Amino acid sequence: MLTDFLQTAIVISVLASTVRIATPLLLAALGELVTEKAGILNLGVEGTMLMGAFVSFLVANQTGSQWMGLLGAIVAGGVISLIMAFMSSTLKVDQVVTGLSINLLGSGVSLFWYRSAFPDFNLVAAELPTISVMEIIKIPLLSEIPFLGPILFSHRLLTYLAFLAVPAVWFFLYHTKYGLQIRGLGENPRAIDMKGLNVTRLQYLAAIFGGMMAALGGSFLTLGSTIRFFPEISAGRGWLAIVIVIAGNWRPARILIATLLFAFLDAFQLQVQGFGVQIPYQILLAMPYILAILVMMGGRLRSVAPRHLGIPYQRE
Amino acid sequence: MNLLKNYRIEKRDHVSPLVLALSALVSLVAALMVTALLVTISGGDWKEAFSSLFGGAFGDKDAILETLVKSTPLILTGLAAAIAFRGKIWNIGAEGQLFAGAIGSYWAFVTFESLPTVPLLIIVFIAGCAAGGALGLLAGVLKAYFHVDEIITTVMTNYIVAYMLALILSGPWKEAGSVYRHTPALPDFVKLPIIVPGTRLNLGFILALLAAGLFYYLLKKTPLGYEIRALGSNPMASRFKGIAVSRTMITTLFISGAVAGMAGMIELFGSQYRIRMDLSTGYGFTGIIVALLGGLNPLAIIPAGIFFGGLINGSVRMQIFTKVPAALMSAVQAIILLFLLASQAIVRYRIRRVDDVD
Repeated sequence: MLTDFLQTAIVISVLASTVRIATPLLLAALGELVTEKAGILNLGVEGTMLMGAFVSFLVANQTGSQWMGLLGAIVAGGVISLIMAFMSSTLKVDQVVTGLSINLLGSGVSLFWYRSAFPDFNLVAAELPTISVMEIIKIPLLSEIPFLGPILFSHRLLTYLAFLAVPAVWFFLYHTKYGLQIRGLGENPRAIDMKGLNVTRLQYLAAIFGGMMAALGGSFLTLGSTIRFFPEISAGRGWLAIVIVIAGNWRPARILIATLLFAFLDAFQLQVQGFGVQIPYQILLAMPYILAILVMMGGRLRSVAPRHLGIPYQRE
Repeated sequence: MNLLKNYRIEKRDHVSPLVLALSALVSLVAALMVTALLVTISGGDWKEAFSSLFGGAFGDKDAILETLVKSTPLILTGLAAAIAFRGKIWNIGAEGQLFAGAIGSYWAFVTFESLPTVPLLIIVFIAGCAAGGALGLLAGVLKAYFHVDEIITTVMTNYIVAYMLALILSGPWKEAGSVYRHTPALPDFVKLPIIVPGTRLNLGFILALLAAGLFYYLLKKTPLGYEIRALGSNPMASRFKGIAVSRTMITTLFISGAVAGMAGMIELFGSQYRIRMDLSTGYGFTGIIVALLGGLNPLAIIPAGIFFGGLINGSVRMQIFTKVPAALMSAVQAIILLFLLASQAIVRYRIRRVDDVD
């Protein structure tokens, strides 16, 4: 009896963690999906997430307001992706190199800003600056459902937002005029240009949306998870988001599944660590990155990659 | 708006190396101006910060020689990025390959410790290159035979290597009795010889210069170098010219990883003498900027590497004397890169007046 109860509790705990851990990955991956559909390969997701995590932390710490923190992250994400859009869409710089430089920028600026904003804090953990983590919102009635309630309906605002963004992005891309135009950019930008639409403007908008989503994802790493910031807190999640877009074959529903797979692995290893199983925790922590390579090996998944992805559009 | 209609932006067919070098210089100046702004915003005095930064980097003989020590791993990781990027092969994994090189060379040292110094160092050197090269090889094989993008593989291996290093340093190789997670210090007989007495400048710097010369020769004069350059300018055409694209990619990634591994070996045996988690503070990524600043030319990578080595060296003094965090350097590096990319894109275009439209 007791073991049954315990097992159920563990399953619920792992699945609820999966949903929580999926949040930043899903937000960033959906943003990257829209950006890539517009033909821009933004490899700067990691740096954008990191900036989102840092700026939301900084603003929340200084103002005491989580809402301002979220707003700060959105602005930071927009500004950073404006650089990405300017470099790739206006100047037509190689997108791989631009994305990498965005990552270095996010990593460098957040580190420098953190050190100069909090110069007096030394390395004693108790004295490091903190914020308060966002409250869990229990959806009335739904959160009472046994099993499903705690897994799906007892989360923070950003988690609900991330999961609702899946159908929203799907609807936007496949059932609206702008969605059609954005998909056109990735497939045949010349046709979009011929129609008299402004290719550059559309690409800017898509990239900015992507950056804001990545930064929102980043803000969950601080506002939604921990009271402290530490350098490189994004720890490769931005890169995982890029892998998830590829593994999800550039389709919102499959991206959700791919995200849940990565999140489950992470939730599972947390649980295993908690049990004190005799596997070094460093190996457990490395698992998502190993999985990322394995997922990429799983056949030629690139069949529906936007045809013009990563190629700057030049008028003849 | 009507005025602008008479102008058209066109792509230049050819940009002279002089213009490119000039644009690199302009972007450096622009980046330093933004840096001054950053320092000011954060409440520092940019004049003081810059004078202690450049004083600490190139102010006197000792500063310059220490800058050369700091530039050694950057020249090597710069070469790692350059040879791959020349072929449009994106090796982002120099950081992980550097650590693999340190781990591999340390393993060789522990295993063959009883050998005389010279053969031991040769084995250690080969092991370091081989370990870094193996990671590059992995990325190459996955790309050639499994269609896994090398960007993904090399980025992921960076994280995987970091966790594996943390594992090794928490257990088997951890110095007994120490609270720190690092290996015991290397004994004197296996350290790379110092070439200027009284400083830390060691044989590693000479090896880095030799590697740059070798890479220059490799790219310019050998069939492999031709294949890499062909791959970079047009991969489709390469296939038709009968170049074995897969083989070229695998070989290039192996060489690229090996020279990054060499950086790890030299950093360990020439400069730091023990492995710790911060043996490299992002040298693999700085190498990418060094390579691009050097225009992917192995010889130009030497001054670019020394410049960034100077920034890293000087930032230590800057932090001590002006309280501006040394972390400024990682922001500056990225800003330099962005300005460099933008300026080189701009000089590739020209605005031409067209009076008779079409």
